[in-house]
Amino acid sequence: MNSGSIQSENFLDRESSLGVLLMLPGLILLLVFLAYPFFLGIWLSLTDTRIGMPGEFIGLWNYTDLLEDDIFHQTAWNTMIYAVVTVPFKALMGLGLALILNNKIRFSNPIRAFVMLPWIVPTALSSLGWFMIFDPVFSPISWLMIEMGLIESNVNFLGDQILAVTAICWVNIWRGIPFFGISILAGLQAVPPELHEQAAIDGANKFQRFVNVTLPQIKGILMITSLLSIIWTFADFQLIYVLTKGGPANQTHIFGTYAYQIGLFGTEIGMAAAITLYMFPILAFFSIFLLRYMRKTA
Amino acid sequence: MEKVNDNQLKSIPEETAENGVTRRQIIKTGAAAGAVALMGGFPNISSAQNKTLNIVRGTYFIPGAQEIAKQQAAEFGKQAGVKVNADFLNWTDLNTKIGAGIQAGGIDVIELWPVQNHLYANNLVDMTDEAEEVAARGGGFEEYVLNSGLVNGRYLGIPHGNNAGTIAYRISAFEKAGVKHADKGGMDMTWDEYFAVAKECKKMGMPFGQSLGHSLGDPIGFCYPYMWASGALEVGDDGKTILFNTPTFEYALNKFVQAWKDGYDETGTSWDDSSNNRAYLSGKISSTFNGASIYYASKRRDDGGELMNDTHHMLMPKGTAGRYHEFGTQTMGILNNSKNIDVAKEYLKWWFQPENFDKWWRIQEGYQLHHVKNLADDPMWQDDPKMGIFKEIPKYGRLRGFAGNPNEKASLAASKYIVVDTFAKAVQSGDAKDALEWGERQLKRIYR
Repeated sequence: MNSGSIQSENFLDRESSLGVLLMLPGLILLLVFLAYPFFLGIWLSLTDTRIGMPGEFIGLWNYTDLLEDDIFHQTAWNTMIYAVVTVPFKALMGLGLALILNNKIRFSNPIRAFVMLPWIVPTALSSLGWFMIFDPVFSPISWLMIEMGLIESNVNFLGDQILAVTAICWVNIWRGIPFFGISILAGLQAVPPELHEQAAIDGANKFQRFVNVTLPQIKGILMITSLLSIIWTFADFQLIYVLTKGGPANQTHIFGTYAYQIGLFGTEIGMAAAITLYMFPILAFFSIFLLRYMRKTA
Repeated sequence: MEKVNDNQLKSIPEETAENGVTRRQIIKTGAAAGAVALMGGFPNISSAQNKTLNIVRGTYFIPGAQEIAKQQAAEFGKQAGVKVNADFLNWTDLNTKIGAGIQAGGIDVIELWPVQNHLYANNLVDMTDEAEEVAARGGGFEEYVLNSGLVNGRYLGIPHGNNAGTIAYRISAFEKAGVKHADKGGMDMTWDEYFAVAKECKKMGMPFGQSLGHSLGDPIGFCYPYMWASGALEVGDDGKTILFNTPTFEYALNKFVQAWKDGYDETGTSWDDSSNNRAYLSGKISSTFNGASIYYASKRRDDGGELMNDTHHMLMPKGTAGRYHEFGTQTMGILNNSKNIDVAKEYLKWWFQPENFDKWWRIQEGYQLHHVKNLADDPMWQDDPKMGIFKEIPKYGRLRGFAGNPNEKASLAASKYIVVDTFAKAVQSGDAKDALEWGERQLKRIYR
């Protein structure tokens, strides 16, 4: 065995150097697919770049200009509503789902797999399904309600402001419930049964056991799933793009869809980058909060 | 074959024929075609082996046209000895693909919507010579092609016409509503008259349908002409002055708001480009603005020709300021970052040969309007008189951004759906004044 191979053996034996080596592919991926686009996005947002046209540095003009844009105001408000309305519903309904699935029921494993479907099916595909359900002309819901004599004409699910916002929030909730449900279920199954037994001996009823035993045990998981869900909801795109493309009259635009429209249809990618980067402080706040919480609980 | 050299060409007087084609252009075209025929291949393709030609086109509402375009691309690949990839994308997604192609490469030939040759002018190969060759062979370009296909006097791609949209309607519903000669088609209506028919039709349970959603085809194709016909413009000819919020347009928009309630399917605020097709073909609506695809589909229905016989077309109604259609030519362009510009040029020259192009064009039965004058008299037009009205559309054609240029600002206004959303806001709130003020504010931001 020559000295070179001995050196390489030592290098691989050392935990620190092996760790760096194993981390390297991940680091490269993060640099290429996250860090580079992120810094490029920051640079673009400070320029007046259009597709196919090199831009010039214009400082914070894109950011200040957006503050005077009615559609951007509406977009920011829509995004806020979208996240604030959907996450609590997903958390509550996910908790309910987890509590049901935590019971001993027949075919529990297939049922658990089945309820994951909304989360597993590609969003673009499931959104298309919902697009057909909400179809202004051929909606099966409208058809059923007309047949039952409840309404006279089709419901304008995606063409009326309140109904359109409700519809996209509902689809987002439908898609997100399984994530909460399965995550919370994992937390529920980790609650030691002895705690429940002890509380029952002490005379606690089911509700008291849920509030005083179960909830404190799954608080961490609830917090993490909620924070992740807020981040994902803010950064959503596919669902709204398939259902409404931000219409009618921009009433369902969120940051992602508005940036896409300005950048790829309007070719103003500098401005589009600024729109998406307005999300950054919000997402950074939740991400830092999440990371700090995870470290603390770990 | 007698060879014609450049000096001989120059000695021929630049006499322009009635159709706008010069004698010199005709001889040049003949000589070029003859050279290709004699050499039996594509002499301008250098070392064709291992070359891949990537063609991106819009998807077609006439399925046969897409199939032929696909077969022709494969045929060219076989003849030229290159690998050809032909993708057909949703028209709405084409911008995204072009943007990606410009930034990252990978696209050679691209099919462009009318204003995209202006929008991506810096990224397209100048194909003036090739376009003029096509024009010369076809008896000259139609006027609308000359008006919309040129970017600063150059052709940044070869124009190939466009699918025009107009009003399709059910003859029986219009007759019941009291419209005379509805079975003859081509009625010369005003918007007021058209809305009055809508009201009657809605009473009969067959309202009119119009998309006002975020979709780049029908909503824009309807709202811009209505705006122009009402005496308003996005911007004046200085490209800066906004002439949108005018008293005449406010008056007309109020009428549209009322008509929407009285005569339209009010779910149209969420319709896309295909919703009205489906609604019409299923008998839910009696009239809509659309390309000829509705009629084309009705001809292929298994209903004994009932819907086909009951469908006809008319031009957009007139407003106080005239009649307009949003119309310009599409072009087949080449991205200037392509590594296969030679192959791409040969492909386009080959595809625009009459034996290829005309086959693709004819199968659409008038859905795609012709680009060159010779095709105006093509026997195809005799096959179905109901399609004849489509040939009239270019006379009333304007491009987005009129009276300014169809530049990036006009595209930004269209991509932000400012005009369409003004209509959508007006019908949702019932407040045309407020909607117009909103639209004006947005346009001022864009055209500042």
